[in-house]
Amino acid sequence: MSAPVIIREFSLFRLKRSIILGVKSLWMHKLRSLLTAMGIVFGVCSVIAMLAIGEGASYEAQQQIKDLGSQNIILESVKPSNKTTAGEQERSLILDYGLTYNDISQIRATVPGVMVTIPSREVKDFIWNEAQNVDGAAVGTVSWYPEMRNRRVVRGRFFTELEMSMRAPVCVLSKSLARQLFPLTEPIGDTVRIQTSYFRVIGIIEDDPSVAAANEESKGRGDQADGMEMMIPLTTLEDHFGEVIFKYRSGSFEAEKVQLHEVTIRISEPDQVMPASLAIRHILERNHKQVDYRMTVPLDLLRRAERTKQIFNIVLGSIAAISLLVGGIGIMNIMLATVTERTREIGIRRALGAKKRDIVIQFLIETVMLSGAGGVLGVALGLAIPIMITHFAEMVTIIEFWAPALAFTISVLTGVLFGIYPAFRAAGMNPVEALRHE
Amino acid sequence: MVLSSLPEPVIELRGVEKHYRMGDTLVKALHGVDLKIMPGDYISILGPSGCGKSTMLNILGCLDQPTVGQYFLSGQDVSKLSDDDLSQVRGKRLGFIFQSYNLIQQLTVVENIEVPLYYQGVPEKDSREIAVGLARKVGLGSRLDHRPTELSGGQQQRVAIARALANDPAVILADEATGNLDSKSGGDILQIFDELNADGKTLILITHDEGMAKRTSRTIRLKDGEIAYDSYTERNPA
Repeated sequence: MSAPVIIREFSLFRLKRSIILGVKSLWMHKLRSLLTAMGIVFGVCSVIAMLAIGEGASYEAQQQIKDLGSQNIILESVKPSNKTTAGEQERSLILDYGLTYNDISQIRATVPGVMVTIPSREVKDFIWNEAQNVDGAAVGTVSWYPEMRNRRVVRGRFFTELEMSMRAPVCVLSKSLARQLFPLTEPIGDTVRIQTSYFRVIGIIEDDPSVAAANEESKGRGDQADGMEMMIPLTTLEDHFGEVIFKYRSGSFEAEKVQLHEVTIRISEPDQVMPASLAIRHILERNHKQVDYRMTVPLDLLRRAERTKQIFNIVLGSIAAISLLVGGIGIMNIMLATVTERTREIGIRRALGAKKRDIVIQFLIETVMLSGAGGVLGVALGLAIPIMITHFAEMVTIIEFWAPALAFTISVLTGVLFGIYPAFRAAGMNPVEALRHE
Repeated sequence: MVLSSLPEPVIELRGVEKHYRMGDTLVKALHGVDLKIMPGDYISILGPSGCGKSTMLNILGCLDQPTVGQYFLSGQDVSKLSDDDLSQVRGKRLGFIFQSYNLIQQLTVVENIEVPLYYQGVPEKDSREIAVGLARKVGLGSRLDHRPTELSGGQQQRVAIARALANDPAVILADEATGNLDSKSGGDILQIFDELNADGKTLILITHDEGMAKRTSRTIRLKDGEIAYDSYTERNPA
């Protein structure tokens, strides 16, 4: 037998054999290995699943806010509460409140960066299609409304500037209104009635995405049937309903005088939005003795949502860190027991020429494989849970491509971190004593 | 025997002492051992328990280092080597056979024989070939893929012998190699030792069995950490 050629290097080849050896050792104690890896499995799985759910929830919130337009500032008229009205306006039959054309012209003149304003005014009443009726609102606005407010015209078209200047009796229905008024027939081309005015339907626009978000912010709009709206040219609205809007409702009578119900102001530069909002608030505070308006700054909401998400991420990170720590401690505990149990094997290997670092590598590979296998299982489970949640609970979940990769990497790193001590303890054993160990 | 014609001893101990601290007292397990072992020697080291046999084995096997004195293995002083170098020496120049076989339970016969080759970095293909050859040589050609638990004591010890031979070591150390075996299997093992020595291998058998000592060409008796009797020096007075 010839003396073998000595090639002492840590090649991939050696690594492969070490891995095979590790698999054999772990396979000898299948149940124990599985239970040990469980800590990591649940750690990794919970990280991925919670990240996906969190991302999904914050995506939905951010999407709603973005739909309002991040460069927009939205002003709305709000009916003042009865307490404040009683003092000032001595039981006038006509409620006079809200945003005025004067406010808007002041804002346009003094606030820098104001690009476009979209005024709107609404008449709340029943909308009729022959015998069908829905409690809704006719919203008078301008032709560039859909573009500025990120609302898509799903069918037909929006009214044009020409129709505005012609004060044409045309209307665009919101999707849910169209569904209620025309459950069976084609709405486009048909006519709807509000009070004594008739309008021809020319298009259908998607529902206001801010309705849900705005509802959370306010309670003052409870009387309005949300989303049930038809858009008509602002000029047409003035013609048909005048300055004072009357409303008859099951015996009671209400009249209000509101110049503008809603104004969307678009600011040219995103970084001008916050200063502009302060300036606008200042103007409104000076012009209005009572708070009969509400200002919504989507960018501000977006920032707040992002801050909430940050806090959520910190909480999530802590939970993940703790669960992986617990998993890591479990692994370390078992590896220490394994090292003690295999003391004799370590002694034999040392007697047969294994260096300390060979022993370290052997145990480290085993630990990393254990945690790595746990990581793989965890990733699989962590991907399955959000998919199931989306499927059964119909919640949006978003799996970022880096989340499984990150979770897996962390699981392997946990293996390395918590495997180092047992591995060095194994390598540090005195070969003579290790061989004598029972 | 052609011992005298080979001038270079394979093992040389010069004034080797080993001290242990047990509590407050200092125990001298070996004091002043001088020993030369020539290539091809067939030696039995005998002595009652507590005479320093185990310490002697540990030092000869480079598992432990002398407190005082020098140990030359194939001409190299190994008494002051680092832990890594000592591992290298064990793996490359020494073969171990233990009383309790000491096979690794999760590995097959062939894989057990391959362990020393693995730590020397022998490529898988070559080491497999060497291991299979050795398994056949000790009569286990039909049990290559068996695990130690599926083998009898005698068979396990034969695997251990094959493993000890894997790196073609300069010296094979056997510690009570037949201690756990019945006389039939023990006899078979001793038969293999005889054959190995006939092939020119240097064997050191540590034992308390006088019968074993009769088979070897040289007998060393230890008593209280010293060499009390050495058949070689008796025959060749200095």
